[in-house]
Formats: sequence, structure tokens, C-alpha cells
Amino acid sequence: MTMETPPPGDSTDGIGGTGYTLEDLSDYLDRGRLPSIPAIDDNAECSSVLSSLQRVGALSRDLVAKEAELQPPVDETWLSALFTSISQEAKAGRDIPLTSPDPRTRLSITEGAVRELVRAAGDSVDGVLVGRCQLDGDLATVGDSIRVTVSISVLLGSPVHEAAETVRQRVYSELLTHTELTIEAVDVTVADVHVTLPGGEAL
Amino acid sequence: MAFAALVRRHGPYLRAFATRLTGSAADADDAVQDALITAWDALSSLEDFSKVRAWLTSIVSRKATDRIRGRKPSSELDEQRMDDIRRGPEQRAIASSQLDALADVLAALPEGQRQCWVLKEVGGYSYEEIGDELDLSPAVVRGRLARARATVISEMEVWK
Repeated sequence: MTMETPPPGDSTDGIGGTGYTLEDLSDYLDRGRLPSIPAIDDNAECSSVLSSLQRVGALSRDLVAKEAELQPPVDETWLSALFTSISQEAKAGRDIPLTSPDPRTRLSITEGAVRELVRAAGDSVDGVLVGRCQLDGDLATVGDSIRVTVSISVLLGSPVHEAAETVRQRVYSELLTHTELTIEAVDVTVADVHVTLPGGEAL
Repeated sequence: MAFAALVRRHGPYLRAFATRLTGSAADADDAVQDALITAWDALSSLEDFSKVRAWLTSIVSRKATDRIRGRKPSSELDEQRMDDIRRGPEQRAIASSQLDALADVLAALPEGQRQCWVLKEVGGYSYEEIGDELDLSPAVVRGRLARARATVISEMEVWK
């Protein structure tokens, strides 16, 4: 091994003859120049390359910052379209995975669809109207148990306890049939009573 | 609404970042929109509000690279796409500042190199993270960045 200093820029011997490449210097910079390597720090050519690297990195960030300033302000029409998409997504809710017979296919049902299922099951009970419906738990993990909370309104005069119990059972069996969720509990709260109009239609 | 204020405040930056990354204003717009829908959903998981721009930028990166990966190779489209970050020839002749010059240099980089560069230098991602985003091995990312770095440094030398 010779100790002779190679000519500057000789690629085989690295930058400034240190044996370090441009890539090495960039990695060194990424590490915050720690632990310090005197062979690099004390080499004029390396120092110059390091400062160039730092400069073009900072300039790149400045460039995007300047281009951000030149962007038009966020368009209000665009913003309201964004909020429409968001509320549609929110209604659909979280994705609940289903096991697929084909490993190449990913199946899922949306939280919104499950809520509709719960709602329909509850509404199918005579004299019951479903209000709020909530799914609590980690829906994205197959096998994790979840808790279903349903609030209902019961027709005035009908047996409240029985109505709530029937809703609980129907919701439970519907979810068992149509989803792969593990149901820890179905909580039914009677939040209201309602009367029927003379025409027989529920109010 | 607070979220709308967030979008008004950071939207222009996110769009500028995504335009540099994808090379296309239309792709950038779509990526930003996708990202904000995701962000809205995940906002409650954000612990440190002072990092909201970095957090939003990381979601935009992911959505933008999803788009990049989903692109069909088409040179005609690529040409059109690049117009959004390329200045006209008459403007290029008079790069009046370092930033103009850098804009030209970055726009002239091969697309893959530019994407890696923007994610690394502006987004602050590691080679592994960039590889995950773009579906490339860290070695490929390393190679692209090495070439981009050599070009950018030598082209910007005159502006020192």
C-alpha cells in the first residue's frame, strides 16, 4: 500500500484521494457527520463536496417552498368537492376484512354496510325504529371481538323489554350470518317511544 | 372547520411537493386529494400538531407514489407530464437564479432519479423508505441517487 496522494478527482481513489466516494460523503452527511471522520473533515476537496451536497439539498427544499408560494390559493370549489368525498368515505366507514378463498383476492365489507345490516335487522322488529348504531372495536383485525351499540325507539304501549331483546337477537343472528365478526355484545338502548298516526304509519 | 383551515394552509405546499415528485400538476392534484381524504380519517392519530405538515407530506408521498407505480409506460404521456415542471426554452436560457437553474436540472433528470431525489432531499426519507414507496430495492434507490447527485452537483457548480 502506498501513501502517495493521488491526483485530485481521481475516481479510483475517491474524492481528494481519501478513498471516499460521493455516496460515502452523502451518507456521512445524512448521519450528521457523526461520528466524525477526520480524513474527510480535514480534506479540502471533501469539504467542498460536502458543502455542495448540503447546498443542493437545501436549495431543493427552497425550490418546493418557493413553488408553494407561487401556487394559487386552495380553490373553494375544489375544497367543497373534497369535503363531499370525505363525507362519502366517512359514511362507508372502515373496511372490515373477510376471509377469501383465493389468496390473490382481498375481500372486505364496509362498516357502513354492516351498520345498514344492523339497522334493517332492528327495523324488522314490530314497533321498533332504529336510531343510532355504533360498532366499537378493531374492525380491521379478523377475530377481534367487537361491541355493537344500537339505540331504538319503541312504539308506545308495546312491551319495551321484549322489543329490546328481540332486536338484540335479530341483530346478533344477522351479523353472524353475514359477517365474520366476533360479537362480544349487542347493547340495545331504548332511547325513545313513539306513537302511530291514525293511518297506521309510525311517527 | 379546523380541517378546512389546515387544507387552506398546507394545500399549496402539498401540491408543489407532489408536482415536483410526479412531474404532473394533474397527478399532483389527485394525489393531494387522496391524501387529504386519508388524513381526515387519521387526524385523531396525529399526536404532535406541530408536525402536521410533515405528516401530511408523508401521506401525499404515499399517494403520489401509488400513482407513479400505477402508471402505464407511455412516452407521449411522459412528455406531456413533464411540461408542468419544465420551463420553456426561452426561460431556460435565462435562468436568473439558482432556484431556476435547479428547477431546470431536476426537470431534466430521468424520471426515476428525480423521484428518488425529491423523496430524499425534500421529503427526508431513507433509502429503505424510498424503496418501499417506489417498489424498488434499496440498492436501486442508492444507484439512482448516486447518479442524480453527480449530475445535480456538477450542473450546479457554476452557481456556487
